[in-house]
Amino acid sequence: MIPDDAPDDGNADDDPDEREPDPASTRRGLLRAAAGATVAGAASTAGCLGVTTPADVAARNEVTGNVAHFVGPSWLADNRDDVVVLDARNAERFREERIYGARRVPFDAITSRESTDTGLVPDVEAIAAAFGEVGVSPDDDVLVYGASVGSRVTRTAFALAALGHEGSIRVLNGGLSGWNGRLGTGSRDRVTPTEYAPDPAESAWVTREWLAERVGTFNGEGPGLVDVRAPEAYLGAPAADALNLDNDRHGHLPGAIGVHWVGNVAGRRMTEPGRLVQLYEGEAELDRAGTVVVYGDDNVDPTSTWLTLRAVGFEDVRVYDGGFGEWANVEGDRGRYPVETATSVVIEAEGSVGGDDGSGDFSCTG
Amino acid sequence: MTEGGSEPRSDRLVAVPCEGDDVLALFALADGEPLGEVPVGSHPVHATTAAGRTFVTTMGERAVTAVDPDGAVSRIETGVLGPSHFASANGELFVSCTAGDALAVVDPESLTLVTRIGVGAEPHEVAVSPDEGRLYAGSRRAGVVDVVDPVARDRPGAVDIGAGARVQGVAVGPDGDRGYAVDQAGDRVVAFDASEDCVGRDGADAPTDDPVIGAAAVGADPYDLVVTADRVFVPGRGDGVVHEFDSDLGLVAVHEGFDRPVDLFEIGGERWVLDAAAAGLRSLSGGVVETSAPGLVATRVGDRLVVSHYDDDLISLVDIADGTVWTAETGRYPFGSVVV
Repeated sequence: MIPDDAPDDGNADDDPDEREPDPASTRRGLLRAAAGATVAGAASTAGCLGVTTPADVAARNEVTGNVAHFVGPSWLADNRDDVVVLDARNAERFREERIYGARRVPFDAITSRESTDTGLVPDVEAIAAAFGEVGVSPDDDVLVYGASVGSRVTRTAFALAALGHEGSIRVLNGGLSGWNGRLGTGSRDRVTPTEYAPDPAESAWVTREWLAERVGTFNGEGPGLVDVRAPEAYLGAPAADALNLDNDRHGHLPGAIGVHWVGNVAGRRMTEPGRLVQLYEGEAELDRAGTVVVYGDDNVDPTSTWLTLRAVGFEDVRVYDGGFGEWANVEGDRGRYPVETATSVVIEAEGSVGGDDGSGDFSCTG
Repeated sequence: MTEGGSEPRSDRLVAVPCEGDDVLALFALADGEPLGEVPVGSHPVHATTAAGRTFVTTMGERAVTAVDPDGAVSRIETGVLGPSHFASANGELFVSCTAGDALAVVDPESLTLVTRIGVGAEPHEVAVSPDEGRLYAGSRRAGVVDVVDPVARDRPGAVDIGAGARVQGVAVGPDGDRGYAVDQAGDRVVAFDASEDCVGRDGADAPTDDPVIGAAAVGADPYDLVVTADRVFVPGRGDGVVHEFDSDLGLVAVHEGFDRPVDLFEIGGERWVLDAAAAGLRSLSGGVVETSAPGLVATRVGDRLVVSHYDDDLISLVDIADGTVWTAETGRYPFGSVVV
């Protein structure tokens, strides 16, 4: 079970199983909230002077409205002593400057996969051991940050969810640049490792076979399916730079719609929530009440869309952890795992991923 | 190569998919009287018959449509977008899914998807060997002709037609020992060994150019080809020529003066060229049969042709000896018809 850290409605004693939310009402509520929500604070104390202060930066990254998972710097300031803060950037950036007391995520380990009869799945033992190394316990409330809100950050959030993490999982909107509190530097602080005992949330991911059994139903009678790669990769455009030349085949899973994941990010912040609702629910026509599967070439970038959809209220979002890399290179009966190259739907997604790290870090951020 | 059919019977009808209106339009073969339309799904392009039913490929769907004798219409899901061409072997229909990389195998009796066979991306035309022991599917993306065993429903291998090749038309000679592929991107035709063990001899299923026998240049923008007992004809749509080769791709003649030749039919000892930009059929020896409009696709019925005038929303029955028998209006963009 993935913890739901949507804002509390004040009825803490309600039994979730006894609540029967009206989907239409839920949707209207979200749209209303989204229309009034902002992640970019309008107030600027020094705007008239043309000067941007740290407080201005922090204000721009505040999150309001009915948005789950993403929080602004003020939330962290208010809750700093109650959460484990994880830094998803690389070691060099971590040593240079970090939120005071943050622990660095062993990133490679949390992308670990294991092979099963049904395909690649998250290696929950390896991932749990990695979080245990940095002293994370299953019931810790966790906040993850990076240089922005890119896919290293969201992969960290997904990895925790995949373990069945009991505590809340939050992401710092704006990344480190939005934080104007105490900073640390130098080598990491000593932490006491834990024995993280995972309770795998298998509903957080799908496998190659799960998808193969549903070919022909995606975005129709079956689940939603979103390809988060660049449009050129989605279409398998010959000779395009976006193609992964390690793949035997190019294109996308049959019926998938293409929505490039960078549309989730505006600079270092999440894209304005109203725009995200329009993008995924209006233009991509995904059903927030149904199952939506996201995939990319690997298992990092799609987690941006996984977290974004959850943040704006999609109820059942899953990651194909094997990714197109597994699907395109499957051995044997490829008729069971076809790809399409033409005539499907590419949703134009404008976005840019900010961050200060072009050196040895993952391509986009974190 | 369009096969010859039996002589027309008065009760037969023509079923023509109208790509622009998503219907199968029906006409009496005898006089062209409109008999109705059947909604069949998005972008229907080709029709065929099997097991007493009419099947239609619908390129805008992940399904093909079947029409039962009692008029019931059903869909058979292919799972992959763009069903385009049919081939029949082993009592089953093999459907190229042109927006993907698979042939869908459909049981025309049970109206079910039997399986899919993985092939090169964007398969298009599928040729069947005379003994139905092999299928040859051209890939518009991968530059290969995939060789398929219809009984085992697998793909033992593929013929590599060349880097950058875009294979459109595929055909097998009447003896079944030689195959031909049109490379639209390279303006050429390639001949290959189509014997049963032409690929996969070493157990590997990777594309190989070992079976390739030779290649020859043809006119610009070729699309389809026609293979007879001793000749190979390749229309070049871009420059209005038809190349004629012997079976070894030795050049026999280049026939010029067409506008946009697209197909060729042997009728009455003559070879007649269908032209997508000229309102008439013209034989290689200079004979002319005028038609109501240019024709893009034609279906042979005896010594007659049912011509689909794609850009003019018309269909005609054309008798080579007597000219146009009838012309009827259709839905938008009539394409590959079948006579039932």
